[in-house]
Amino acid sequence: MFSKWIFLAVLGISSGLVVSGGVFTVLLAVGLIPRFAGKMHIARHVFVLEEMVVFGTLVGNFLSVFSDYGRLGEWILSRQLFGQGTTNGIWHFISTILLILFGFFSGIFVGCLALAIAEMLDTIPIFSRRVGFRHGLGISILAVAIGKVLGSLIYFTQEFFLYSG
Amino acid sequence: MSASNATIYLKAEQNVELQSDDVYLKDIGKMTCSDEAILAKVKTIKLHRFKEGESKRQVISVLKIIEEIEKLYPNVTVENLGESDVLIERINVNRHKGPIQFAKIVFVSAISFFGTAFTIMAFHNDIGINGVFSRIYEMVTGQVADGYSILEFSYSIGLAAGIIIFFNHIGGRRITKDPTPIEVEMRVYERDVNKALIETADREGKTIDVQ
Repeated sequence: MFSKWIFLAVLGISSGLVVSGGVFTVLLAVGLIPRFAGKMHIARHVFVLEEMVVFGTLVGNFLSVFSDYGRLGEWILSRQLFGQGTTNGIWHFISTILLILFGFFSGIFVGCLALAIAEMLDTIPIFSRRVGFRHGLGISILAVAIGKVLGSLIYFTQEFFLYSG
Repeated sequence: MSASNATIYLKAEQNVELQSDDVYLKDIGKMTCSDEAILAKVKTIKLHRFKEGESKRQVISVLKIIEEIEKLYPNVTVENLGESDVLIERINVNRHKGPIQFAKIVFVSAISFFGTAFTIMAFHNDIGINGVFSRIYEMVTGQVADGYSILEFSYSIGLAAGIIIFFNHIGGRRITKDPTPIEVEMRVYERDVNKALIETADREGKTIDVQ
């Protein structure tokens, strides 16, 4: 039994190491964080952003791997932490804000990531050179953005996720 | 002017940020010369003046700089060891301070935090990590896993160790003295932007250059 545990532990640690290396190499190759920092003129504080990347990953990892221990809402509601009767209302309010924060910021991140990957593969420059247009690059970017928003809205409103997997 | 044959060695920088409206030669890079009098005089050559309503970003060609120096000292040789085009930017001192700056850091931090949390969760969901783990557990131990096993814990430790090794710091402390990967990437990005700006100015004919 003990040797099996050691085997599992070694397996787990090494897969964790390789996965983090892989995930972050992609993130870095896309160059998202430097771009944010450059746009916002906070290049000097890039250290803070890296810390946020580290902690974000750790929290996300905990919530998805140990999802049974991550049931914050259930835990708070079952103990009625903000007083009997009032907890439901208060927690409903706080959890809505948390969800909005999470959705808004992760949406920005994913939107930037999707375009950054497209840009890294030089899709837009190659395409515009082939079809030979010189003006209207801004419009085409806007079209990409609108297309993404529409696609995302259709995905959620038509309940595409019910058909996945 | 004396008919000196001295050589001025100039190391022009790629990107210069200025807080005053006047751009002097000494602002755009380092230079040295065996004749100190020439050096002192050359350093105060005025290259450009940012006017109201004009672009706060200009590109100066080194050819223009050489021309200016040769106007003053026709016999001097100029040897440029640095960049051939210099990007000069007029900045306000207080642009980098204050509550707006803080708000920006908070904003980008929130994107980084929630974004990476989302990314790793989506990745785990995509590969069905709990299924993979319970399958491996079953294969190795021959028993069905009840709840979380050592595999989940060691995976999390490995992931954390991997990130910390990768980014080279934790809680504000560096592990080795190397720059972190994002700091390196930041410089690469800066250089790319400078190059793009210089080439755009060149193509549009907006570079401050010789005729």
